[in-house]
Amino acid sequence: MANNDDPIPPMHFYGPTDAFGFGQLSEIWRTRELLYSFFLRDLLIRYRQVVVGVLWVLLQPLMGMLIFMGLFFVLGTQAGNSTVASYAPILLTGMLCWQLVASSFRDATGSLVNYRHVVTKIYFPRLLLPLASLMCAVFDFVIGSLLLLPVCAITGTSIVWTTAWLAIPIALWLIVFCAGCIAWLSALNAHYRDVGYALPFVLQLGMFVSPVVYDIERLRALLTDQWVWLYEANPIATCIGLLRWSLLGTAPPSAIGMATAASVTLLICFSGLAWFQHADQQIADRI
Amino acid sequence: MSIESIQLDKVSKRFRLGAANEYGRLTEAIASGVQRLFRTQSKPVPSRSPDAFAERIEDGWFWALRDIELSIQSGDIVGIVGRNGAGKSTLLKILARIVTPTQGRVGVRGRVGSLLEVGTGFHPELTGRENVFLNGAILGMSRSEIRKRFDEIVAFAEIESFLETPVKRYSSGMAVRLAFAVAAHLEPDVLIIDEVLSVGDQAFQRKCLGKASQLGSQGRTVLVVSHNLAAVANLCRRAVLLRDGRLIADDVPERIIEQYLSEMRSGDGQRQWADDDSAPCSNELRLRSVSVTGNGTDTPASEVDIDQEIHVVVDYRVLVAETPVSVQIHVKDETGSFVFWSANAPSMNLEPDPWFSKPHPLGTYRSECCIPANFLNDTRYFVSVFLGPEVGVLAIRQDSALSFVVHDTGAMRQEFTGSWLGPVIRPRLNWRTRKL
Repeated sequence: MANNDDPIPPMHFYGPTDAFGFGQLSEIWRTRELLYSFFLRDLLIRYRQVVVGVLWVLLQPLMGMLIFMGLFFVLGTQAGNSTVASYAPILLTGMLCWQLVASSFRDATGSLVNYRHVVTKIYFPRLLLPLASLMCAVFDFVIGSLLLLPVCAITGTSIVWTTAWLAIPIALWLIVFCAGCIAWLSALNAHYRDVGYALPFVLQLGMFVSPVVYDIERLRALLTDQWVWLYEANPIATCIGLLRWSLLGTAPPSAIGMATAASVTLLICFSGLAWFQHADQQIADRI
Repeated sequence: MSIESIQLDKVSKRFRLGAANEYGRLTEAIASGVQRLFRTQSKPVPSRSPDAFAERIEDGWFWALRDIELSIQSGDIVGIVGRNGAGKSTLLKILARIVTPTQGRVGVRGRVGSLLEVGTGFHPELTGRENVFLNGAILGMSRSEIRKRFDEIVAFAEIESFLETPVKRYSSGMAVRLAFAVAAHLEPDVLIIDEVLSVGDQAFQRKCLGKASQLGSQGRTVLVVSHNLAAVANLCRRAVLLRDGRLIADDVPERIIEQYLSEMRSGDGQRQWADDDSAPCSNELRLRSVSVTGNGTDTPASEVDIDQEIHVVVDYRVLVAETPVSVQIHVKDETGSFVFWSANAPSMNLEPDPWFSKPHPLGTYRSECCIPANFLNDTRYFVSVFLGPEVGVLAIRQDSALSFVVHDTGAMRQEFTGSWLGPVIRPRLNWRTRKL
């Protein structure tokens, strides 16, 4: 019942609140329960009619790690000056980060289009859909990270506990970067389906220009400083490098590389917000 | 106490016509950008009825709505009436915030619930319980609200024993019941309902309308789009009439319905088109005229006697030799209830039509459908005409091509003189009583 003592809600006018799209953030905060519902939906759907269920979250990075270890040692091209033992956790951190990036990009890009029957029938902040995909990827990432402990124990690598806590803000950095990218990708894909087709190639390429299966030190030996800087401007590369440094004590990326990567991240996030708000205006007409 | 609950200031909406709207491919965007550089005038876009459409088309854009000014007080139940394509659904989508207006602004007070579809966001893999939470959240309920009403919702939908079953194993009736139960427990300040809701069975339709009037009596604002004029008249306290994207009248429902119907009337029982591209046409066929005759004569008439056969006459021209043609008519009543449809297919006819789906040589043809006497009730009916190569395949579609009124001249009123209002048809049937 509408009680008469209820305060009269204010008249709310639709439309962009600001050119940069910051208004979307407060709206997302207000509708966080829906975000949680979408996240739960994505999570539940993924493991319906699957026998091993959530174990896949652990199996995927583990198998990825084993495949690349096999590949590299069979081919004799060791990544870095490492042994099998030290290579395993390095590879696993790379795989975990890469899976976070790849699966959030992949799922989020299709999220608006796959859900267009809802997007064209009811209003909610549309950014929730790609964000829910990102949350699923983060969920996998967090669970998968637990693998590091047994892998380190088995291979006899010691985790650097003094800097290990830094892994959390570094992972957050990577997540924020992913959020900016998927704001771009999902809305672009709603307008131009080409994005969805191009993405697999970009991801394949991205895996090799990021230090997923090798470590940054090996690259340093090959490239001049200028190129290393350009390489580290990629926030994925920098985050993976930093994570390995904080957890395993490998060499960190250069300071200038980190600064560039941080600026790139900020640029992508702010432009992503503004672009998403702009694209959102026409999404129901164009999708 | 009357506070403004919805306010529209000069709201307009336009859509891009043509392919750019359908497929958003990057290459096309670039191509059309290049085209725009070299093009001085836009290509004329073919339209079915140029008079109404032409002024809404502007350089490849189509104005679905133009300068809508509307303000609605809280507690009002407002019906939106108009022909197909008048902009009703676009208006609802703008109010529901799904579509952003091109010009003007929309203000809404409080929480908006929109039911443009039942079960939006239902996922077949999820169980009934999970879907209630998901659907409720999409409709704008908080988790605690859903939890509080969960038992009510489940009881309303009568699916207690299937709560943990994935919705893909539900019968379609169960899924709709569950979806509606969730929607019915939504308590927004402003509720927006589309008539697609009322495609369900009668009971379901009544439930929807009952829910809407209940919300209205609680001081909430309800907006309904419906072709069901009776429902609009019963439910709403106010109605607006849209025509060609403009709001042309705003009054009590009775007056609006009267105006709407008088606009729908084409008058003389005949509708003719010029013999050129402005007529409804496809590459092979062109509709020439549609008319209704009755009263035992061949003169077209919009008012026919219940006691006489009614003939629906469709004239069309075959533009490409050897085109197979099948003719189909749909008859609806004023409330939009579908009375019947019929085609000239042999199995649907008393005597087979020799031209059915046969290749037609060039020329003009006349197909005539005979509706028996003493079959339709005394009310107004709307005829839509469809032409195509076979039944179910449409080349030309002319919705509500014309209307006619059946009058009871007393033929069936010898013994009973009361009202026949309500039933759609009034057939004369065989009765026999025996002593047992």
